[in-house]
Amino acid sequence: MYAATTSVALVGGDVRPVEVQVHVGRPNDQFKLSGLPDTAVREAKDRVRAAVMSSKIEFPNRTVTVNLAPAHLPKAGTDFDLPIAIGVLAAAREIPHPGKMVVVGELALDGTVRSGASSIGAAVLAARSGQACLMAASVASEAAAVPGATVHGVNSLAEAVEILRMGLAGHPPAVAGEPARLPSVGDLSEVRGQPMARRAVEVSAAGGHHLLMHGPPGGGKTMLARRLAGILPDLTQEEAVEVALIHAAAGYRRGLSRERPFRSPHHTASRQALVGGGTGVAVPGEVSLAHRGVLFIDEMAEFPRANLDTLRQPLEDGHVTVARRGITATFPSVFRLVAATNPCPCGFLGDRRKPCNCRPAAVARYRQRLSGPLLDRFDLVVKLDRLDGTELDAVESSEVVRSRVGEAAQILAARSMSVGDDGRLLLKTALEKGLLTARGVDRVRRVGETIAALAGETRVTEDHMAEALGLRVDW
Amino acid sequence: MSARVIASGDDEYPAGFFDLEERPSFWLEGLLPDSPSVAVVGTRRCTRYGIDLAEAFGAVIARAGWTTVSGLARGIDTAAHRGCLRLSGGAVAILGSGIDVCYPAENKPLYDQILTTGGGIVSEYPPGTPPDRWRFPARNRLIAALARAIVVVEAGPTGGALITARLGAEMGRPVFAVPGDVDREMSEGCNRLIRDGAHPVLGSADLVEELSLIIGPPAGAINADHGIPAEGVPVADLPAIWALTVTEALIKLSRLELEGKVRRSGDLVVPG
Repeated sequence: MYAATTSVALVGGDVRPVEVQVHVGRPNDQFKLSGLPDTAVREAKDRVRAAVMSSKIEFPNRTVTVNLAPAHLPKAGTDFDLPIAIGVLAAAREIPHPGKMVVVGELALDGTVRSGASSIGAAVLAARSGQACLMAASVASEAAAVPGATVHGVNSLAEAVEILRMGLAGHPPAVAGEPARLPSVGDLSEVRGQPMARRAVEVSAAGGHHLLMHGPPGGGKTMLARRLAGILPDLTQEEAVEVALIHAAAGYRRGLSRERPFRSPHHTASRQALVGGGTGVAVPGEVSLAHRGVLFIDEMAEFPRANLDTLRQPLEDGHVTVARRGITATFPSVFRLVAATNPCPCGFLGDRRKPCNCRPAAVARYRQRLSGPLLDRFDLVVKLDRLDGTELDAVESSEVVRSRVGEAAQILAARSMSVGDDGRLLLKTALEKGLLTARGVDRVRRVGETIAALAGETRVTEDHMAEALGLRVDW
Repeated sequence: MSARVIASGDDEYPAGFFDLEERPSFWLEGLLPDSPSVAVVGTRRCTRYGIDLAEAFGAVIARAGWTTVSGLARGIDTAAHRGCLRLSGGAVAILGSGIDVCYPAENKPLYDQILTTGGGIVSEYPPGTPPDRWRFPARNRLIAALARAIVVVEAGPTGGALITARLGAEMGRPVFAVPGDVDREMSEGCNRLIRDGAHPVLGSADLVEELSLIIGPPAGAINADHGIPAEGVPVADLPAIWALTVTEALIKLSRLELEGKVRRSGDLVVPG
């Protein structure tokens, strides 16, 4: 006797259907599982058997063969428990065949249905193929927010069996819930006394410029980087789905949050952790988890040079291809790179109060780690000092800055920027006077366009260019 | 010009060295400028604050038409020489090694620049002598003797700069010291000097004013461009100094920079 259910696998920030085929044969107590399962999937056998028995349903005393197709696609995680259990019960004719439906969920031994990472993926697949989907009640309202998805939530295997026996038509689908709030990145108005750095963060947010901050410890570099994520315009619904799928592939649940990701890998992170890897299945790295958000590289000079160099390709291409046995996955990686570094190993070179204990050769070595092509990516470089003195600039909240950033981003997206003659003359003069290199001219022009857009204008004037020229600090 | 030995009978023998009992002969490369000399000395383990001040002092001394004397060591000495050379001022470096041994080696460009701008390198030791620590205090007595006044920028509780100041005071040279936080190691030496009678330095303009009482009015004029002191300010401080918003300050900065009135030095803005 045979039955099949549909489940889902996450591949490279997208979803693929997985057919869970179940055959129930001769009387026996064997349970076979095939189709490139990882350890967690293989252990489904024991969880499914226990969960079925806990649900007061007889587990068929026959040879059970489960195949996850397509067989070449590596499968991971615990979300195949529920589709396997339903497949077994359908093949044993305990319940009617579930028909077209995407099923995900992990089973506890007492029959409780728990949420795995692929609930959003299941909703996306279901919406795309016009099917309903069945998952843990705890994540159903979150997944129901996926446009076009009909999601049924269940708390236990027994409840799932009951629904399937009565037919889905009699069961009300879950109502889309508000996306969960992520931990706050903090408000920009909390950063006092750094008006120039706040401006640089705003320009970075609006124009997608990568930003390098340097200065002694305690200057607020980390604080500002976190707040950059908070002044980016909210993700669109489509983007929220895209980001959620990438995070799900790494085993994280972020629901359909509209907030921008903020990722801050430690300097001991491996190259695989940074750009993606995984054993068996392809797992996205930090560059993809930061997709459409901020990748913050704190203490950049502490990262091994080779690891920093792996960031260059995703920065260039906007995506990363991770090749693993049996599958090649491509994850998107469009992010704002924000890096922070101390000026020297001890951190106090340039501090107005504390002596720096580093030997000059050590400082040179420290800086060499950052030199080269990666440094060229930073349009904006700011120095953070501990400051005193009064601030004339209004200390604006993240909300105020975010709306200005959003409008500027729209102006820039329309690609109608033009540089006025006065602006062009300023660049020419700066080049002739040796203030800028040819590459520096491009950089200042890009920043100048963003500054104009932040002022709501499409024509870049001399003043815009002059401010852009001012926003550079020799490193 | 190659290095030559100057003895007390020579025309070039500096008047200040007659205050030294033994009237030492020395090796000289380049020239000893005619103008009055001011020593700017301090610790090798200085802070950015000390570097900024030493550079500013070197610059204002040069602008006043005087010569800056120091020891070419890391830290304050280097900054003082650099500030002076920025305005192509006369500089004299007195070494604790052989005259052809640049220590620290990374100061070779500075060493060369001192010579090309008409300054001199002085050493008591024959060419090839390595930079042994025990020679430095003896070198300091030459710095004290050559200078008409001694400015100590940052100094810990012990160290060569304090030796220079003490020897200078014994020869009747006025000593200036930059006051600092009482709980800061590199202020301690300076604060002690002030307690013992040194003049506190209240800034680069104040220093020139005080020095001109001792060694006569400066040959050049002192100016501070657009509120930017000779010691420079971080870019991020400009809005507060000019009382402008960030945008306004950055625009003004770029304009001044394009006109050559100010320039960048690392993350500092200094008069052009």
